Order: sequence, then C-alpha cells, then structure tokens
Amino acid sequence: MGIYHIHDLEHYYGDKQVLSIEDVSIPTASITGLIGPNGSGKSTLLKLLVFLEKPTYGAIIFKGRKVAPFSHNIRLRVTLLPQEPYLMRRSVFDNVAYGLKIRGDTKDLKNRVEEALTQVGLDSERFARRKCTALSGGEAHRVALAARLILKPEVLLLDEPTASVDAKSARLIRKASLKAKKDWGTTLVVATHDWQWLYETCDTVLHLLHGKIFKGGLGCAVYGPWRMGQNGLLHKELEDGQVLNVPKPEEGKQVAILDPSKLEVLLPEKGLSLKWNINSLNGFVTRMFLERNGKTVQVAIKIAELVITIRMERDRVEALKLFPGKEVSISYDHQKIEWL
Amino acid sequence: MDFIQEGFIQAIKLLVNRDPSTYSAISATLRSSTLAMAASLLLGIPLGYILGYFDFSFKKHISIIVNTLLSLPTVFIGLVIYALLTRNGPFGEAGLLFTIPGIAIGQTILSLPIVIALTATAVEGADRNLRITLMSLGANRKQIAASTLWEVRLGILAAAVTATGRVLTEVGISLMVGGNIKWHTRTITTAIALETSKGEFGMGIALGLVLLLIALTINVSLVGLRRRI
Repeated sequence: MGIYHIHDLEHYYGDKQVLSIEDVSIPTASITGLIGPNGSGKSTLLKLLVFLEKPTYGAIIFKGRKVAPFSHNIRLRVTLLPQEPYLMRRSVFDNVAYGLKIRGDTKDLKNRVEEALTQVGLDSERFARRKCTALSGGEAHRVALAARLILKPEVLLLDEPTASVDAKSARLIRKASLKAKKDWGTTLVVATHDWQWLYETCDTVLHLLHGKIFKGGLGCAVYGPWRMGQNGLLHKELEDGQVLNVPKPEEGKQVAILDPSKLEVLLPEKGLSLKWNINSLNGFVTRMFLERNGKTVQVAIKIAELVITIRMERDRVEALKLFPGKEVSISYDHQKIEWL
Repeated sequence: MDFIQEGFIQAIKLLVNRDPSTYSAISATLRSSTLAMAASLLLGIPLGYILGYFDFSFKKHISIIVNTLLSLPTVFIGLVIYALLTRNGPFGEAGLLFTIPGIAIGQTILSLPIVIALTATAVEGADRNLRITLMSLGANRKQIAASTLWEVRLGILAAAVTATGRVLTEVGISLMVGGNIKWHTRTITTAIALETSKGEFGMGIALGLVLLLIALTINVSLVGLRRRI
C-alpha cells in the first residue's frame, strides 16, 4: 500500500477541468517525479497532495485513510515547497524555526536551525541573523527548504525546486532533499523539468498533460485549426507540411492528444512520400535518457512543431540504432487518438 | 500678518508656561483619541482581516459600504451620536453625552472604516504564496491569521497613522457630542474653533501648532516603531 492512493480524481477551477486521474499510487519513501508542460496540472496536483485543496470529485487516500483538507494530523506531516517560496519578513533564523515554534516544539531550537541550514549548504553563523530581503534567489530557496526539512516531514512535495536557482543551489537542494529521504524515509514528490533529476533520481515519473497522466511517456497536445479531410477525418497541417489525421471529436472538445503508449517508433521507409503517409509522421530524435531501471529509455522526438517523449525498451532503441538527430517515423492509429 | 507670527510665539509660551486651559485641551484630545484608536484597532484589524482574507457572499457589497464610510462627514456622525446619547435618545440613560467616552464613540465610528479598509487592502495585497507557505508549514487558522497580520504590519501601521490623523483633527464630533465644555470636553480642535470665532487668531494658530506638534510626535514614534519591526 502506497502512502498516497489517488483514484477517480477530477478537479475543476470553475468550469475548467484541470486534473483527471483515474488511478495512481505513490509508494512510501519513494521519489516520484512529475513532468509536463506549464499548465498541465503539476502544481494543482501538489496542492491536492498537501491537502490545501479538496478535489472536486474522487479522493486522495493518505496512508489508507481519506483525509479532509487542512486536517490537523496531516498538516504536520506533509509539507510543500512552492515554486516561488515565500519567506516571511523576519530573519532567516525565524523563518526556519517558524514551523517548530507553531508546534510548540522549541527544544534545542538553535542547534536544530543550524543543522537545517547546514543541510542546505548555508553557514548558520553568516545567515541565521540575516534579513530575508538580503538573500539571493538561490539562498532564499534553500532557506525555504531548510524551513521544511527542520520539520522532518513524512512527505516533502517540491514544485520546480531548481527552476529559478543557480547551479550550486540546484545541486544543494537536490542533495538535501535526497538526504531527507535517506535519513528519515521522507517520501518525495518533485515537479520538475530537470531531466537529470527525473530520470536519474526518481523511482517513478508521472507524465502530466492537460491534467491527465500518461504512463508511456509525455504525450503531446495538438491544437487546431482543424479542417475537414477525406473519409470524415479532420486534418491538421503541421509546420513542415505533414498532415495529422484524427477522427471527429465529441462536442466541445478541441485538443487532440497523442498518447505515447499508443505510438510506435519506426525507421522512415525509403521512397515513400512522407506527406501522403496518413498513418505516420516523420521527425527526428532530439534527446534520449536511460531511466533508473536501466531497461527503458525516454526518447524525445520532434515532429515539426510537436515534441513527443516515448518510453522505449532499451533493446528496441539499440535495434533501431537511435541517437539524437536520427530521423524516425512514428506510426499511429487515428482511432486511438483522444480528445480533450 | 502679524497674528501668524504672534501665534508661533504664543504657542511656545502656552507650552513652556504650562497654560492650564491648553493642557486641559491637550489632555481631552489625547484621552478621546486614545480611546477611539484603541477601540477601532481592536475591532478594525480583525474585521479588516476577514474582509481581506476570506471570500464570502456580499464581500464586494461590504467593501463598497466600508469605502463609502471613509467619506462620512464628522458633523453627521456627531449628529447621529448626539441623537443616540441625548437624554431622550435610546442610550440616554448611559449618560455619555458631553463626556470624553461619548466623543470617543463618535471618533471610533470615524476611524473604524479607515482601519478596516486599509487592513483589508494590506491583507488582500499580501503575497499569494504566504497562505500556501503558512499552511504547508503546519499553521492552524489562528496562526495563519496572526502570521498574515504580522506580515502586513506596515500596512496596518499605515492604517493606524491615517486613522489617528483623522481622529486628532476632527472637530464636528467633539463639538456636537462633547459640547466644548472648558476643563472637561474642550479638545484642541474645538478650542481653535472657539478662539477663531472670538477673533483670537493668534490663540487659534497657537493651538493649531500644538496639535501639529502632537501629530509630529506620534508620527516620529511610529517611524521609530516601523524601523524596529
């Protein structure tokens, strides 16, 4: 049983659906990565996981129990480091000590703050009395992380922790978070675009697109305009002239989703006119990353303006002799294309 | 123009010689405004927090009403309070008409919308990540309220300064509810009005300068407080 179990979750802001997750479990003391373009629902999912908000439909089960938002028990065990962490108008010491003070847990406070600051690579002597306005962006981010680490949380949710910091801070943030997992068995959930963090460190990577999770890689959203084509299909002409054929959507749906688990990577057939091959699209490999299990590879393929990341077996990658820059063809069954 | 120069000299004389009637007016001014400010801060800060922090039905309507009350004429407040506190009025039994607490009630009504409106604006203007940060660090509702108010303390201080200025300088409420009774409810502003009506411009200016001096002292203290927090 995982620490989190999400099932049949749907979340709306007004009329707009921002998340729709059928079934996902997050194991205890694991590192789960969340990847997806801006607006894909990563931050919203983190807010639901920290129980700041209640899902519109469905539930998030925490340690086998359904939890109400803002529940006292959970509030003290799960913490979130937002993308733009807020530091209060107090000293670094007071910011780091805040969580313990409101819990009334002030025993040996000075040493604990010192330890937390050291964990994120900040010298307590130099930083503890400093005003938070006198910190660089990376230092502020690390102070915010220290304020979470001092609580020894059961779950630490990190929203783009290394997106807007210098390389040194990014390295220290990663190191400190991993140490929390190692020392206290903290479960980490990290929303990031950092491929190295995702594929070298995470046990599981969840790919989010338009609020949905794609298990076989990071899907691709295709927006209109669409025009009527042959056989009752809709056509989308890509920037390089290739045509994507899709079935007509249900009423009100406008965005076609290429689910990477339903795509196949092939070598382009010689002599075939690419423009007229309606069941395949041609592109080239832009990036490849071996996953932690050593058996699967994330392969990013660019097709005109679209980028699709597909999880492939390592043997298959070797058989196709894939490398960044290699031309490939992606075949798809237009009946399996989903609409949002 | 001599009376202006004369006013300056007289103001210094009044203060240095500890003129009893001047000090009585200063005392009445300080007592009524302290009472009014204490009441309006105690009521206004929590109400301003509620108005600024929470989303609820009719929030916009309440904001409009509070903002409209910022323009309340002091004579109108004086008239209403007079009507309520007069012997035949609903609260006549309390015996608050022509007393310092009576003036303070009117001044509270004057300053309360200022404190509510400016506190609400300060709370609304707080960083949206503050709430997420406080909640994710484990703060409960009371701790979130206290920490949010502490974060916007400079805005609240500005509200207090603005409201104090309005209370110190109003004349309508003090005149109508206080009755301008010498040694009792005569404040600096009502004394200025009286002296001017008697043609004693010098004395009026002197009292005005004394009032400015009090305002300066309060503001210098608050600037010092602002630096410390």
